Amino acid sequence: MVEHKHEVFEEIVTRFVELKNTSELMIDLAYSSLMLNSKELAEEVQRLEEYMDKLHTDFELLALTSDFKKEEASGFLGLIRLGVATEKIADAAAEMAEVVLRGIEPHPVLKLAIREAEETVTQACVTEGSPLINKTLKEARVPEETGMWILAIKRGEKSLRPKPDTIIQLGDVLIASGYAEGADDLKKLASPAHQCQIE
Amino acid sequence: MPQFEKIEYKPIPVSDLLLEMKNLSELMIDLAYSAALFNDKELAEDVMELESRIDTLAYLLDMEIMIAARDAKDAEMLIGVSTVAAAADKISDAAADIAAIVTRNIGIHPIVGEIFEKVEERLMKATVKEDSVIIGQRIDDLDLAARMGVDIIAIRRNKDWILDPDETERIFLGDILITRGAPIGIKEFKDIAEGRLTKLED
Repeated sequence: MVEHKHEVFEEIVTRFVELKNTSELMIDLAYSSLMLNSKELAEEVQRLEEYMDKLHTDFELLALTSDFKKEEASGFLGLIRLGVATEKIADAAAEMAEVVLRGIEPHPVLKLAIREAEETVTQACVTEGSPLINKTLKEARVPEETGMWILAIKRGEKSLRPKPDTIIQLGDVLIASGYAEGADDLKKLASPAHQCQIE
Repeated sequence: MPQFEKIEYKPIPVSDLLLEMKNLSELMIDLAYSAALFNDKELAEDVMELESRIDTLAYLLDMEIMIAARDAKDAEMLIGVSTVAAAADKISDAAADIAAIVTRNIGIHPIVGEIFEKVEERLMKATVKEDSVIIGQRIDDLDLAARMGVDIIAIRRNKDWILDPDETERIFLGDILITRGAPIGIKEFKDIAEGRLTKLED
């Protein structure tokens, strides 16, 4: 019986971590969309917001149907409130992305603040000679090498959400977040021969 | 009842205010989750204090924006700044909501914290143990952000939390460190802090 309970908790926590990670990814993407004035990224934030709604409902249902004892009610209330907070964070990210979707160029001061922040957003283009070319994201080990987390890949007109088996191609533009220190490392890795201009 | 004070106008650049709001709101989320999941009341109270700091910043920013708008075009562009600032404020409110789970003694089921430590990949708590190579080192000398994409967001020492510690802060034996960052990096750092790994790689 005790074992069974532990499994239920593991499921609840796994879903909560998914909520938490999605809401944080949304913040990063929202700031990226503002910095790059990118409608695609802003739309991705809106899509994730819809996904969050579903995820949140599933999480709440799971918590409410997990057959807890009276003395456990407070602990479950705490969990439910954690879920509500992730939803609030996701809403805030969606509101930021709306600024871009309204079609007014974001004020330069926004770009400045996002670029200067401790956790920043950067983009790097993959040019000739980069060891990343033709590697999957998993093989490329970008987070390990640079501390930067790839949020999206711009390929031509399209913008892809990266998966471990996505293959990096010559000409891709990598959009990544992380500590400012890693941004230069990423640029060196992606464009070793020459810097490319993307604005 | 909370106390409200008059906030005097101060000429601070909008970019500085926004920057601090962004940094603080993101720090607050991580601290709040840590407080809730490690069930730490002092840390939760510290998050509440940061929340009032954000409120002040938001207020000052609103005043700056009002002064900056001279015509309709300015207003169109500045409304975006104000929306982003409001969103950062909302994020900090969410962090305060999380902290309130702890300060109001609601708590989170203890098993949750235990499982969370196993599955969460971006936040980690580590205790500095005897054999650790980081004892006595300054945070900037460790160069964690460049080395492994890790940032120390809080240190618990002598029953107090040091939030967002200065780069010149040194690490002591027995410190409890809360770190955030790249999943592999924080695992590596935990091993280093707890003395299982004795080399800092470049």
